[in-house]
Amino acid sequence: MDALLKVEKLFGGYGRETVLKDISFEIIRGEFLGIIGPNGSGKSTLLRLMSRVLYPQKGMVLFEGKDITKIGLKKLCQKIAFVPQDTLISFSFTVWEIVLMGRIPHLKRFQFETKKDFLIAQNSLRLTDTVGLREKSIDQLSAGERQRVVISKALAQEPNLLFLDEPTSHLDIGHQIRILDLLKGINREKGLTVVVVLHDLNLASEYCERLILLNNGRIFRDGKPDEVLTYRNIEEVYKTTVLVNTNPKSLKPHVMLISNIEQCVQNYS
Amino acid sequence: MPGALPFRRERKMKKLVLVATLASVLTCFSQGELLSTQFKRQRIISLAPSTTEILFGLSLDDEIVGITIFCNYPPEALKKEKIGTFSQPNIEKILSLKPDVIFATGLEQAPAVERLRQLKLEVYVSDPSNIEELFNSIKEIGKLTYREIEAERLIALMKTEIEKIRAQVKLTPPNKRPKVFIEIWHDPLMTAGRGSFINELITLAGGINIAQDISTAYSYFNLEQLIDRNPDLILLAYRDNKEAQDIVKNRFGWEGIKAVKNDRVYNDINPDLFLRPGPRLVEGLKEIHKRLHPE
Amino acid sequence: MNLSPGRKILFLGIVLIIVILIGIGQGSVYIPIFKLFSQENHQILYVRVTRIMLGILAGTGLGVCGVTLQAILRNPLADPYLLGTSSGAGLGAVVGIILGISGAYLPLVAFIGALLSTILVYNLARQDGKIPIQSLILSGVIVAIAFSGLIIFLVSVFSNEALHGVMWWLLGNLQIYRLRVLLVVGIVVILGTICIFILSQDLNAMSIGEENALHLGIEVESVKRVSLFITSLITGALVSVTGMIGFVGLIIPHMMRLIVGPNHKILIPATCLGASAFLVLCDTLSRSIFPPIDIPIGVITSLVGAPIFIILLKRSQEIK
Repeated sequence: MDALLKVEKLFGGYGRETVLKDISFEIIRGEFLGIIGPNGSGKSTLLRLMSRVLYPQKGMVLFEGKDITKIGLKKLCQKIAFVPQDTLISFSFTVWEIVLMGRIPHLKRFQFETKKDFLIAQNSLRLTDTVGLREKSIDQLSAGERQRVVISKALAQEPNLLFLDEPTSHLDIGHQIRILDLLKGINREKGLTVVVVLHDLNLASEYCERLILLNNGRIFRDGKPDEVLTYRNIEEVYKTTVLVNTNPKSLKPHVMLISNIEQCVQNYS
Repeated sequence: MPGALPFRRERKMKKLVLVATLASVLTCFSQGELLSTQFKRQRIISLAPSTTEILFGLSLDDEIVGITIFCNYPPEALKKEKIGTFSQPNIEKILSLKPDVIFATGLEQAPAVERLRQLKLEVYVSDPSNIEELFNSIKEIGKLTYREIEAERLIALMKTEIEKIRAQVKLTPPNKRPKVFIEIWHDPLMTAGRGSFINELITLAGGINIAQDISTAYSYFNLEQLIDRNPDLILLAYRDNKEAQDIVKNRFGWEGIKAVKNDRVYNDINPDLFLRPGPRLVEGLKEIHKRLHPE
Repeated sequence: MNLSPGRKILFLGIVLIIVILIGIGQGSVYIPIFKLFSQENHQILYVRVTRIMLGILAGTGLGVCGVTLQAILRNPLADPYLLGTSSGAGLGAVVGIILGISGAYLPLVAFIGALLSTILVYNLARQDGKIPIQSLILSGVIVAIAFSGLIIFLVSVFSNEALHGVMWWLLGNLQIYRLRVLLVVGIVVILGTICIFILSQDLNAMSIGEENALHLGIEVESVKRVSLFITSLITGALVSVTGMIGFVGLIIPHMMRLIVGPNHKILIPATCLGASAFLVLCDTLSRSIFPPIDIPIGVITSLVGAPIFIILLKRSQEIK
C-alpha cells in the first residue's frame, strides 16, 4: 500500500491566521477519499495546501516522498490536477481550447501541441461525455456542462492525483450522480487517486471508501464511512441532531436530517 | 471774536488757491505737456498683462492698485500688489482693494468678469483681435481712466511707427515678400493663423504668413504642408535656451526647408512683444521687420 | 467569419499593407503617386513613411499592452494607461516645460515621469511580495487622479508654458523629428512584443483565473511581474514620444477577440496587425481631412473606432 501523498503535522492558513492545526494523514495510491466538515473547518484550505497553492506555516506535505514545495511547479502539475469550486470563465474560449490547456504542464513554452496531446484531450472529452460540446464557447454552457468540461481539462493533465473542491455544489441531483459516477469509474478503471471535498454527507458516504471529518481545523475522525458517519460524530461536529440509517441498495450509512420546527415554534410562542 | 474768524479764513482760502494754482501750473510746465482737463484719481485693477502694459502706457502708475502675477512689464509693475493668476483672479483680494474700475480680457476671464459684475464692480473687457481694435481699446481705456489725451498720444505714437515700417515695405512687390512660418509650439506643431496679431504684424512688416489660409488665431499645422510651402523664415514663438538653428536643424525632414538651409530661424524675439495686444506690439513689429530684412 | 486562424491573420496582414499604401499616397499635400518618388518630394515621402512607421509601432505596442493587461487583470476595461504611465508622462512633460528644459529633451523627461509613476503604482499595490490584481487597478486609478490634479494645478499657476505640455500630452500625435527616437521606440516595442508573445501560453492560462493557472503549473507571480514590467516599458516609451492616444489599447483587443478568439497565440499577432492598420488609417485621416490642419489623432481614433466596434459587437450578439 503506497502512500502517494503524506501530510505531516501540518499547520496552514491565510496571512497570520492559522486555519488548520496539526493535521497528519496519508493518501494511499488509488483510493477515493472524501473530506467533509462544517463551513470554516478548513476543507478548502487543506486542498490548497496539498496542491501547493498555499504554503504551510508549519509541517510538511510530501508527494511521492518529496516535499512538494521543493518540486518544480510545472512538474508537480503533471501529476496533480485540481478542479475548483467556481468554474466561471470570463473569456469566450471554446471547450476544445479549455481542455487543451490541460496539456500545458506537459508542454514547454515554445512547444505546439502534438497529435498525442490532441488525442489525450479528445479522450478526456469522451470520458466526461462532452465531445459534442467541443466547438462551443465556454460561456454558453450550463453549470453542469461547464463542470464536466473543467473536469476534462483536469483529466487531460493525465494526473496521478485529482483534487476536487465541492464539484457538485451548483448541480442538480441528476448531475451530481453523473459526475460522481464518472469520477468513481475513472478511479476504478485508471487507478486515478481522487480526493474530493463534499458538503453532502450522503454523496460522501456513497462514493468515498474513506472519509476525513474535519472540525475546527483538526481531524475529528478518519476512517470508513460507517466509522465516521455516526449520529454522535455528526451531532458533535455539526451541532445538529440527525438519524443515521442504512442505504438499502449500497448498505452504506445514510444520514437523515431532523428539523427542529416544533422546538422553534415553542420558542416563538 | 466772531468777526475775526471769517476774515482770517478768507485770507487762508486765498492763500490756498494761489498755492494750488501755482503748483499745478508748475507741474504743467515741469512735464512740458498738457494734461487732461478732468483729473480724478481712481483705484484701478488689471487682470491681464496686456491691459497692465496699456495702463502703464497711459501713465496710470500711481492709480494701479492690483495686477496679476503674470504682469511682468514694465519693471515698475513688479512692485504692485498681486491679485492672483490670469485665469483665476482672487475675487476676495480684488474686493478688499476697493477698485473703481477693473480691466480684463476675453473668453478665459469671462467667469471672473461675470462674478465681479454681479458684485456691482465696473469691469471693462478689452479683447482686440487686430491692431485697429487695439487702438479702440486703448481709446476706451483712456476714456474710463480720464486719460483721453494720453491715449490719443499713445495711439498716434504707435501709428507713426507702423507707418514708418509700412512705407519701407511698400517698395517691395508682393511676390518678393519673404514667406514666414510662425512656430507657436513644436509638439504638436502649432502655428498662428489669420486671426492672430502676429499674422498682422508679419503682413505689416512685409512678410507673408504661410498659414494665413487658417482663419483662427492658433491651430495645428501639418509638417508636409510646412515642407511644401517652404518658408524663407521661421519664427519660434516660445522661449528655449538653445539656439534657434540648433533646435530646428536636426529635425528630420526639415533640412530642405529654405529657412533652415539659409539659417534664418529666429527665437531671439521676446514672445511677449508679438503675442500680447499692447503698446509693445510696435516693438515686436520692428523686431520682426529687422529679421525679415536683414539689410 | 469561418476562416481558419491562419487565414484570418493573412487577411489582417493584407489589410495592413493596403492601409500603409494609402497612407503613403494620401496626405496633407496633394502629390500624384508617380511624382511622389521624385527627388523634389523625397522629404515629404520620408515624413509620411516615418509617421506610418511610428503608427505601426504605436499600434502594435498599445494593442499588445491592452491585450496583456486585460488577460492579467481579467478586466475588460483595462487599457495600457491603467498603471499610471500616461499621467506620469504628462506630468513629466509639464514639469519639464515649466523648468525650461529644451523641447528636444521632452520625450526623455516624459519617459522618466512615466517610469516613476509606474514604480509608485506598483509599490502601492504590493503586499507580501505579491501583486493582488484589485490593488493594482485601484492604485493605478488613484495615481492617475493625483497626477492629473497636479497637472491642473501647475497649469493654473504657470498658464502658458504648462499649457503647451498639457496639449502635447493629451492630444497625442505621430509626428516626430528625430530618427533616433523612432529607433529606440522601435527596439522597445518589437522586443517587448516578442517577449509577450512568448508568454502566450501563460496569458491563456491566466485569463481563466490565477488559481487555475497555478494548477496548470504557471508561475503566476513571476508572469505578472514580467508582463507588467514589459507593458510599462512599452507604454512608457510610446507615451513619451506620441503623447496619449486613447481607444487603441482598450478597444482593439476586444475587436480582435471578436474576430480571432481569445487564444493569445493567435490574438497577439492579430492585435499587432489590426491595431497598426487602425492607427495608420486614423493618422492618414487626421492628415487629409482639413489640410493644412492636423486633427489630433485621439479625436480620430474615437470617432472611427467607436462605430466599428459597435458593428462588430452587434454582429457577435446576433451570432449568439
